[in-house]
Amino acid sequence: MSQIIIKDVAKRYANGFNALKGVSAEIPAGSFTVILGPSGAGKSTLLRTINGLETPTSGSVQIGQQTVTHTNLREVRSQVGMVFQHFNLVDRLSVMANVLTGRLSHRSWLGSLFYLFQRGDMDIAHEALIRVGLTDKAWNRADRLSGGQQQRVGIARALAQQPRVILADEPVASLDPVTSEEIMGLLREICTRDGITVVVNLHQVELAKRFADRVIGLNDGFVVYDGPASGLDRATLSRIYNRNGDQIDEQLETMLAYA
Amino acid sequence: MSAIETVRPPLPKKPFNPTPVWLTAWLALLWLIVVDLELSFETLLYGVDDIFEYFSRYGSPNFADLSRYVELLIQTLATALWGSALAFVVAVVLAPFAARNLTPNATVYRIARETLNFMRAMPDLLLALIFVAALGLGPLPGALALGIHTAGFLGKFFSESLERVDAGIYEAVSATGASRLQVVMYAGWPSILREALGYTLYIFDRNVRMASVLGLVGAGGIGLALHDTLRMFNYDQSAALIIVILITILVIDYLSTWIRGKLN
Amino acid sequence: MNSSRLCWPTPNGLPAVAPAVVVSVCLLLLVISASAVELDLVRLITAIPRMFEFASHLLVLPDWEYLPTLGTNMLQTMEMTFLATSIALVISLPLGVLAAVNASPHPVVFHVTRNLLTLMRALPELVWALVFVSAVGLGPLPGVMALSFVTVGFMGKFFAESIEVIDARQVEGVAAHGAGWLQLRTFAFFPQVFPDFVGTVMYILDHNLRAAAILGLVGAGGIGYDLVMAMRMFDYGRLLPIALSIYVAVTLLDRMSDKFRRRLI
Repeated sequence: MSQIIIKDVAKRYANGFNALKGVSAEIPAGSFTVILGPSGAGKSTLLRTINGLETPTSGSVQIGQQTVTHTNLREVRSQVGMVFQHFNLVDRLSVMANVLTGRLSHRSWLGSLFYLFQRGDMDIAHEALIRVGLTDKAWNRADRLSGGQQQRVGIARALAQQPRVILADEPVASLDPVTSEEIMGLLREICTRDGITVVVNLHQVELAKRFADRVIGLNDGFVVYDGPASGLDRATLSRIYNRNGDQIDEQLETMLAYA
Repeated sequence: MSAIETVRPPLPKKPFNPTPVWLTAWLALLWLIVVDLELSFETLLYGVDDIFEYFSRYGSPNFADLSRYVELLIQTLATALWGSALAFVVAVVLAPFAARNLTPNATVYRIARETLNFMRAMPDLLLALIFVAALGLGPLPGALALGIHTAGFLGKFFSESLERVDAGIYEAVSATGASRLQVVMYAGWPSILREALGYTLYIFDRNVRMASVLGLVGAGGIGLALHDTLRMFNYDQSAALIIVILITILVIDYLSTWIRGKLN
Repeated sequence: MNSSRLCWPTPNGLPAVAPAVVVSVCLLLLVISASAVELDLVRLITAIPRMFEFASHLLVLPDWEYLPTLGTNMLQTMEMTFLATSIALVISLPLGVLAAVNASPHPVVFHVTRNLLTLMRALPELVWALVFVSAVGLGPLPGVMALSFVTVGFMGKFFAESIEVIDARQVEGVAAHGAGWLQLRTFAFFPQVFPDFVGTVMYILDHNLRAAAILGLVGAGGIGYDLVMAMRMFDYGRLLPIALSIYVAVTLLDRMSDKFRRRLI
């Protein structure tokens, strides 16, 4: 069964830039999908249309049985966790409070006005912190943690939503290689154990090969590859990362040789 | 040969420096103003002796009525406190609507902005006059006037701080399915808390200053006493009142500077 | 334990100590001082219809014959603002240098100037206006004096603060070439702080216009006197035009200074 159905999505920004030029894809439930592509290929835009952070100019996105529209945004988002490149934690709040923001869609506006949560929310957040291995930092301020730890809090926040889908936009681009490995392992484990559908934007081909079930290659707003990670041979990669039409540039060749 | 060596490429033409023109225009304008206001600084100069004589009348402050002054002073501080609290509440409610990245739509943004502008533009003494007319004499209209006027300032400061918060943080919280109010409560206010408290203290500081003159329009506090003693040429008592006001304002000033320093 | 019980995101579910203390102290102070401001809900509520009544009185035709006088008096208010700000500017430039810890020639000079500036801005313009009116008589002169006096206190402080945050390396660069004391201050400090200074002057001009508009209250010139008289005599045909012209003038200046600052920075 397909968890996410992307149908002919095109996105044209107000400044005239065409980020997506008609993208279609189906992402099965419980799979681990990596989106690859050069900078400016539309990876981020594609991911952000899935939970409505960007509205497609044409085409539609369907999550589960629901088509994402303006009216059901909050409902859709409550089922879709998101992990960001720069973590985007609220610096001055404690780690626990940051994770608890994942429960906000279940809280009333009155409770939120006084920063009140329910015991049950605390338990869920606690559980999420155990999963990412940060229980001992629960009452630290979020900006006192290292980059890797902050990203774990970001993942815990997504987990606290008890989502069906987790979207990760370049989750390891600001981290060192060892930490990147850990974070990718954590996302993979969440996918396998909880059956949560994970979609990740990546720059590192090598990580994609090791962690992904499936890879979607984007170039210049089009899907140029859609298949298993094992199908990423050199010809495919040069198609994904090609910048000058059919011409294969030498730099690209060198880069791919090391990928 | 040598001719070629000595010919330097000419510098580009020096750009026109408009500073002297502006300076002359400025001075001319000031002169025109002095003439139009019929200010005569000569009388001021010749009157220096008179002025020194005048200020010497304040030489022997009379604190006989000190208990009454302290009472008025407490009323002044209470007026400033309530005014600042009112300003804080109004600003907290209005600021998210007047922040470009949190407002629900452009119309609401415009309305919120214009409301804050209007509150800022109305001088607090003018507002106090109006509220005294509606509510009668006393410190309550004074507190209302201070509150409404400074809510305009606080609201502007708060909304500008909210606009400076990293867009990614708002995005992350709203991506969890949080409502607009929840985004403001969990991503907005915690991120600007220190700044906001600093601004509020600054406004309290300012309100203490203003509350000490609100008495002039019948809105309570120590200002009326000062007005009355000056009008009756009781310089000894005026001097005592000025000293009391001065000390209070300086104490509050240092206190709020100290707390603001602690906040950072 | 009931999982729907409400709690705060703290280890024990109770509110965090620091915010709880700050909030309770503030609330306590407000409650204690409520009687001092004669807070009375009944009085507030009964005043609402009176506010509407007052507002309805405002909707009368303006007193046309008064409008030229209004123009003259508004012009006078603006002239006082401009003059007082200019005088204060000239005085506070040197004082600001003396009161900046990194530009002051001596720590003693620094402390003396700092405290002098604090004293000058401690009392509101109106108090000084009251004093100066009884010293030199009615008219715009005491108003300009009071405004300039207090403005020096604020402007000097703001100038000093913007001098204190400048980049020390640029100063060293100029000093390394053997610049003298005054040269250093004019060539290394001034260019760096200029945009900040302009921002400060615009902000103070804005503040002074509002202050000048009410100085007339104590007979120190400007539109304030007419405002109070109109208020006292219930002369609504004059009140609305006066209030409106103050609002328009302040708003125009505000917009202009916003534009000006943005162009400069």
